[in-house]
Amino acid sequence: MLTVLLVDDDAEFTEVACTIIEFLGHEVLTAATLQEARNWLEKETFDHILLDFMLPDGSGAHLFDELDSLDKRPRVTLITGHPSVKSVIKGLCGPNIDYLVKPIQREDIEAVLTKKSEKAAPKKAKIEKHFDLLIGESPAMKDLYKLISRVSKTSANVMLLGESGVGKEVVAAAIHKASDSEGAYVATNCGAFSKELIASELFGHEKGAFTGAVGRKEGVFEQAESGTLFLDEITEMPIDMQPNLLRVLENKVVIRVGGTKTIPVNCRVVSATNRTMEEIAQSKVLREDIYFRLAVFPITIPPLRERKEDIALLAKTFIEEFNKDNNAKFKWDDTQLDTLQAYDWPGNVRELRHFVHRAAIMSDPESNVLELPKTIESPFAQKQSTTPSLQAGRTIEDVEKELIYATLEKVNGNKTMAAEMLGISTKTLYNRLHAYGDLSKDEQ
Amino acid sequence: MTDDEFSKISVFVHDARKPLNRISMQAELVKMALNGDIPAQKAAEALDKIIASAKDCSNTLAEMTTQMSASNSDSSDD
Repeated sequence: MLTVLLVDDDAEFTEVACTIIEFLGHEVLTAATLQEARNWLEKETFDHILLDFMLPDGSGAHLFDELDSLDKRPRVTLITGHPSVKSVIKGLCGPNIDYLVKPIQREDIEAVLTKKSEKAAPKKAKIEKHFDLLIGESPAMKDLYKLISRVSKTSANVMLLGESGVGKEVVAAAIHKASDSEGAYVATNCGAFSKELIASELFGHEKGAFTGAVGRKEGVFEQAESGTLFLDEITEMPIDMQPNLLRVLENKVVIRVGGTKTIPVNCRVVSATNRTMEEIAQSKVLREDIYFRLAVFPITIPPLRERKEDIALLAKTFIEEFNKDNNAKFKWDDTQLDTLQAYDWPGNVRELRHFVHRAAIMSDPESNVLELPKTIESPFAQKQSTTPSLQAGRTIEDVEKELIYATLEKVNGNKTMAAEMLGISTKTLYNRLHAYGDLSKDEQ
Repeated sequence: MTDDEFSKISVFVHDARKPLNRISMQAELVKMALNGDIPAQKAAEALDKIIASAKDCSNTLAEMTTQMSASNSDSSDD
């Protein structure tokens, strides 16, 4: 039970407030003026004072000095009739004061008296995971969520385009999740298999189909029946294997390597590449007919630098994951998050994730303070500007190429200046760049 | 709106908020009475006070309209 002093000049208000406070099990005395309040303070000790800011004989704030000189300083809650006064009082009286703004509800009184203020139970803002997988509230990501939920209602094949590390596999899993399909989600990397093995990986093989084929094997198309098949790095698939893939996509049947029976397949194919659409078109790594089969619905995933507002959310999520796995209590402070946000993250979310984990590992496990390295560096941040010292055995062509790019980097791509520095004509420089297939650079 | 008009309105708003705050407090009492926390008689009294405060508030707002429109027509005469 608390002893409460209620100082307010509105008699009707004090009467009702007293009823409520008494009902909550506390003892309450009332004063209508500063003078009355002072008289009570001389006679009684109080645990809590509910103090109107505006009293007939002055501001409630005048009582503060007297309260400080008491043996036992009561907690003070200021009552104001106007919301805008609140911020003024806050500046005047410091942060260690609670406020009630009229109209006051019973729960408000209950909260301040039992100290169930919001400070006691800080609301932990939960970071939402869209489709249980994706993090980010930026406009770019919101657009992406819209595309995912649209395409998930169809059976269209999706091609994901995006830089390395943007989370193509996570988006593929999100599409599968949103589709509510009964089949499994099967992921495979087209760049990870040799030409000989990729057919077996995709379409399966019969026992004895080739040396080492000791048993029958289902291909990923069969494994993903009624589900989603994710083909990562589709542009790394050998071009002479692509007609086989095309046949599967068109006829919706596979024939296992060494087999004769056609097996019907029915799955959504989500493919991914870190090349841009223009690159795909120009570099001829993907047959045009395959492209149109796979990219019925192309989705470009934004790089992290185009959604910097999500960096803090991601960094918080990654550190929470780390804390959970390692029983740690690391926390970001705001300046650290600002540092992270200022960086461009050429390796995108993957780089950020690794960076966060590395920082957590390097930090003192006993404290909850994360130690960041002085600079965030990535070997991919610049195009080989810190050239390793020359090694014997490298071809002259190689070294020349490196020298040309390093020089271009130095002069911000100004080809006339670069040519002059290199001691060659601009025409020669253009010819070299052309030979390297660096057409985009050539156009600049 | 001139500063003068604004300060005039502020006074009325302040006066109108007072009965509203009272209504809100009395409503809490009614809630408590319905829960059986306090005697039902208290609820009846509280409801009477709510009605009275509602009238207060209404009067204040009516008064404000009269005064503001009066000052408005004054200024348009200038």
